[in-house]
Amino acid sequence: MKMIWAVIRPESAHRVITALDSAGIGGMTRLHVTGHGREMGITLGSVHYTEIPKEMLMLVVPDNEVAKVVTVIRAEAKTGADNTHQEGTIGDGKIFVTYVEDSFAIRTAGKTGGTSKI
Amino acid sequence: MKQIIAIIRDERVEETKTALEKMGVRGVTFLYVTGRGDQKGTVSSRELGGVLNRNFRMPLTSPECTHQSPGSSQGTPRDPFSSEKEFAFGFLPKRMLIIIAYDDDVGPIVQAMVNVNQSGRHGDGRIFICPMISAIRVSTGEQGDKALS
Repeated sequence: MKMIWAVIRPESAHRVITALDSAGIGGMTRLHVTGHGREMGITLGSVHYTEIPKEMLMLVVPDNEVAKVVTVIRAEAKTGADNTHQEGTIGDGKIFVTYVEDSFAIRTAGKTGGTSKI
Repeated sequence: MKQIIAIIRDERVEETKTALEKMGVRGVTFLYVTGRGDQKGTVSSRELGGVLNRNFRMPLTSPECTHQSPGSSQGTPRDPFSSEKEFAFGFLPKRMLIIIAYDDDVGPIVQAMVNVNQSGRHGDGRIFICPMISAIRVSTGEQGDKALS
C-alpha cells in the first residue's frame, strides 16, 4: 500500500480527477495549498510571488496501482496535455510516493481494529 | 515513531479531540480538506440537509439544484448534486488529523478514533499509519522520541 501526494495546478485538477475516475480510482482527498519550487516563485512586473496556489491530491492505493496513478496524473497535469504541440512547463507540480504501513476504514473497523482493504 | 493520518467527518472533530485529550495525546494537526471515497461523494437524501447546512468549502449553489435535470444546470459549474455527471466531483468537506505518535501508542489512538467516529455509514473516513523517521522540536532542537514527549 502506498500513499501518493500530488501537487498540481488548480487548473488541471478537474482534468486529473476525471482521468483518475475513468481509470477506476474513486477515493481521494483534496487540499488547497500554496508553495513554490526551486525557481522560488515568479516575478510579475515588480511583484515577486512565492506562495503560488496549488492543489494537492492525496491517494492511498495498492502497490500494483501506483504506476497507473502516477502515469495518469503525469499525463493530465502536464501543461499542454490537451495540446500535442506543447510540452510541460515549470510549475506543473510534483508527485510524491510514500509508504503506508496500515490502514483502517472507520466504518467497518472492528472493536479491536484491523487492517482493511483499500 | 509513526504518523497517523486520519480523515474524519467534520461534525465528529470535537468528540475526537476530547477522546484524544483523555488519552494524553497533545499534539494534533487539523486540516480542512475535501474528499471522497469509492462512492464519489454521493450523499443520501437523508444526509443531504446536514451536509448543505454545514460551512461548505466546496462550490455548491442551493439545495434546489438537486432537483434540476442535467440539461438545465449546464451553466452551473461543478455542482456535485445537479446531474449524474457532476456526481463524480462530489468532494465532501472532511477534516484531516495528523498525529505523530510512539509505535506503542498507535493501536490505542486508532481504536479511540474508530470508537468515536464509527457510525456505520459510508463516509466515516479512514486512518492511515505511515512510518516517520524522526521529529525535531523547533524551540529546543530536541530530536527523535524526545521531541514528542
